Amino acid sequence: MKSLGRIWNALANPDRIPRLYAVMLGIVLIVGFLIPLALNDHQLYPKPAPQSQINAHNPLAPYDRGGTLFQERGIVKAQYPQFAPAIGEVTAYLSPIAILVKKTTLYFGTSIYSSPGGLIDEILYYTRGFDTVLESSILMMAFTIASWVALNFTMRRKED
Amino acid sequence: MDASLFGALGGQLLGIIPLGDIVFYFTPLNLFMCAAALAFTFLIAISQTESQVEAEFGSLHDREVKVEKKEFKIRRFLAIVCGLATAGAMVTGDLFDFTLFVCLIGIVNIGIVAAVKQVDVLDAAYQYGLIAMIASLPLFGGASLILASAGTISLLQLVQLSYTTPMMALGSILVFMGVAGESGVAPFFATKAEMFRTPGSPFLLIIHLSSLLVIVRMIEILLIINKPF
Amino acid sequence: MIVPDVVSPVVVALYTPAIIVGIIAGLIGLLGIAVEKNDLQILILTDLVGISMMIFVCAVGTDLAESLVLPGLVVELAEILAISEVLMSREIRRNGKEVALIPLPMHMDMEILDTSPVVIAILLIAVGAFESGFTGGAVAGGGILFYVLSRTMRGVPSGMWEGIAGASGISWCLWLAGFMVFFVFPQYWLLALFLAAFGVFIKVAFKAGLIGVIGREEFKKE
Repeated sequence: MKSLGRIWNALANPDRIPRLYAVMLGIVLIVGFLIPLALNDHQLYPKPAPQSQINAHNPLAPYDRGGTLFQERGIVKAQYPQFAPAIGEVTAYLSPIAILVKKTTLYFGTSIYSSPGGLIDEILYYTRGFDTVLESSILMMAFTIASWVALNFTMRRKED
Repeated sequence: MDASLFGALGGQLLGIIPLGDIVFYFTPLNLFMCAAALAFTFLIAISQTESQVEAEFGSLHDREVKVEKKEFKIRRFLAIVCGLATAGAMVTGDLFDFTLFVCLIGIVNIGIVAAVKQVDVLDAAYQYGLIAMIASLPLFGGASLILASAGTISLLQLVQLSYTTPMMALGSILVFMGVAGESGVAPFFATKAEMFRTPGSPFLLIIHLSSLLVIVRMIEILLIINKPF
Repeated sequence: MIVPDVVSPVVVALYTPAIIVGIIAGLIGLLGIAVEKNDLQILILTDLVGISMMIFVCAVGTDLAESLVLPGLVVELAEILAISEVLMSREIRRNGKEVALIPLPMHMDMEILDTSPVVIAILLIAVGAFESGFTGGAVAGGGILFYVLSRTMRGVPSGMWEGIAGASGISWCLWLAGFMVFFVFPQYWLLALFLAAFGVFIKVAFKAGLIGVIGREEFKKE
């Protein structure tokens, strides 16, 4: 019983908790070596085979998912297409500047993240938009905390 | 909406809020937990901070300890966000969305603990932050193992699967570890701030409530994924 | 074949090795955390654990995995931002010594910051506005950061801070409005897309600008 008490006392120190947690997590992760790990090939939002669109000289490679602007929707295999009435529209959309860039280079797909429209925007803003709302809230909270600590504790350290 | 689309979720399906792939659903259990979190958040929002009376050594005078309005404001704000995130985690129908809600609770908890000007409490906040950062590996890693094995991370689809692969079981255990790290250990570190009876303590209570509710919800998710019965 | 029915066999074959690598990376990081004594080292090692998490997500190799990486990355970034600030505040408080808030290897009060800032700042902001979204926000934020750092005028830090922070909050609301328009009025999806894209842009840009306000206050203290 005495040693149990010692263990409890040792655990009361906040420094030790991250270490204990890391060890426990490591033990659980080792189980991953023992069980079969295989990818189920029926996935949502599948990608074409790697490099296939680049070899086909598609300027939007690897993010071309079909569709023409305002006429035809892109192909998006979402979980619940019935809950997203405008699905595929954002995938097909390219801003006028993006169309201009697309005509001049074969590698526009590599920077499609940084212009409105395209497949990734469809997932990030529309079909899984709530994830992005939460993600930005997390960033905002972290910034609030960091700036509050910086302004009130770190910068005014001389006042108290 | 067609309720049979989503199968049995351990209770009568009262309704859904579809937001694209992320569907919020209500069964009696999680609706009750969501309402409890919201009610407590409302109480936090209208409550005043606690002021303490400390006895002074060597004299008969008392000293009143009050919280500055500024410090009070940030703590109340973070406590309200924590309550709302807890309420959201109760009703979300998407595993990845759930992990993000838990992350939001984790970072807000760090903020509530860190808003105390004492070295020991700041140290507790830092150690808690380390665990929260490590915990993002099991949280997102576990969710992605389940996605890789099942091909979906919507709980409403996972409940309909007739099988559970060992990979999904490992993934769900990892998510459980992650929830324990982000929110489960929070009361331990919050006690550090409470032990010193820091002014403004009432807002720490939301940490205890959210960790309790999130663990209950996590066990429900474990049952949905692993289907032991 | 623009969108296949099943994931290509190459990705399926790569999944198991990728996950094994992820587990090994995670184990190395966790082992380091378990034995390391220095607090700062532990903070850096948690980043390795975060990278292992990213490998887990990326291994799935679909467009969905690609968009799930972003929240994971941002959560890591946000937590390291908050925690390192807490660590710094703790250390400063514990030591009681006078140290710089943003330690810099050299004296930052340079001539060039006074002479040619505006054009560079405007250029960066224009490029950022063209890109929009996260990337654009980061570039434009760099521009604002540069502008704010370079202003010789001191004072109004608190008001400026609150003003920029307020604008950032409003743009967050813009984003939420865009998100709601997607579901309430699906026919106006283009408006929603632009609300979302530029909401992110303004938010990220102003956040970087706020860091500039702190930095300037620090190095112009002397």
